[in-house]
Amino acid sequence: MAEQNNTPVATEKIKKMLERKKDKTKLSLRMCAHCTLCAESCFLFMTRGKDPKYMPSYKFINSIGKLYKKKGEVDRATLEEIGDIVWNDCVLCTRCYCPLGIDIPDMIALARSICRTQGVYRQYDK
Amino acid sequence: MYDLVRGPLLWVSFIVFVLGTVFQIIKFMKLSKKIDVPKFIPASRSKPIATSPGFMLKFEMFKAAGIGTNLLMAVVTTVFHVCLFAIPIFLVGHSVLFDQSWGINMMPFLFSENTTDTLTIIFLACSLYFLLRRLLSARVRAITTSYDYVVLLIAAAPFLTGFFAYHQIFNYNTIIILHILFGELMLVTIPFTKLVHMVFFFINRFFVASENCLGEGNRTW
Ligand code: HEM
Ligand code: SF4
Ligand code: SF4
Repeated sequence: MAEQNNTPVATEKIKKMLERKKDKTKLSLRMCAHCTLCAESCFLFMTRGKDPKYMPSYKFINSIGKLYKKKGEVDRATLEEIGDIVWNDCVLCTRCYCPLGIDIPDMIALARSICRTQGVYRQYDK
Repeated sequence: MYDLVRGPLLWVSFIVFVLGTVFQIIKFMKLSKKIDVPKFIPASRSKPIATSPGFMLKFEMFKAAGIGTNLLMAVVTTVFHVCLFAIPIFLVGHSVLFDQSWGINMMPFLFSENTTDTLTIIFLACSLYFLLRRLLSARVRAITTSYDYVVLLIAAAPFLTGFFAYHQIFNYNTIIILHILFGELMLVTIPFTKLVHMVFFFINRFFVASENCLGEGNRTW
């Protein structure tokens, strides 16, 4: 069993990491037309009953989007939720296709890196 | 009031639109970098490794990606976007203004008034489809916020008010001012809302190297 991680979230560190890719993150979030056309390009969406939570856009909006909007000021519970999305709902296969050319995998990868610095990893024993 | 929205405000919105768009393009250029597209192809290999697929394969991919997954959405969004561009440019009423202001005579290319009227109704129907989709489809709702409705309104309002003005529904003088204001609002919001996809569709979809770019993309994120 994975034990509960109770260390406080190092928001300063998250801020720094967000800052480094601020322009691209902002651009990607702004450009997204919320049109859901990327859904079918993700095999996880296709093979898991077309559940909207597997849409590439849903995943990047609710991970890096959330971190960006809250400027890194997230609590542990939110971070765990984000971690669940970026580690368990996406395999970073980079096959998703957005008609507007948003680099979704890079956004999810950034959210992963941020989670990693806060001790939120993929848990293979769950 | 009319003079204000037709004069200074129009210029302000044109300038914000152009400068904002240029700003976004520069930002994209800074965020992405140029890569070498392989030019030399060894004789032993008939095809380069890292270039985009041929036209027919692209066509097959296009069928699978857009048309195959949701035919209705593919048709509606295409019609919507073509109308969005074509109606304001080829409208008789606007061309009179182009002619008066800049001496641009578009007469040979214009659509008839009946054509633009019909196209406007089609455009509004497409907008209604987007609205209903947002309200009713679970997957679209999953990522919808109130912002999406506001932007859709900004996009549809110039057409709706234009339609009212042409048919003299409600008070013409009020409607025409609203129409101009909404048009200007759309121009200034293009670079700063999700409407930037107008700019980025052309520059990053086609430039960033991937199997989906047109030709050989020569930039990467
Ligand atoms: C061809 C590439 C493009 C694609 C794939 C695309 C995609 C979309 C999609 C799917 C929507 C509907 C969003 C919704 O469900 O509400 C939309 C809306 C819209 N698009 Fe595009 N678009 C493209 C190019 C453009 C261009 C070039 C313009 C500018 C003239 C434009 C302007 C708009 C406007 C005004 C809306 C309505 C507002 C909204 O709901 O976001 N689009 N676009
Ligand atoms: S990521 Fe692209 S395809 Fe997906 S919802 Fe956003 S704009 Fe549409
Ligand atoms: S990178 Fe993630 S979101 Fe994109 S297609 Fe692969 S699993 Fe789906």
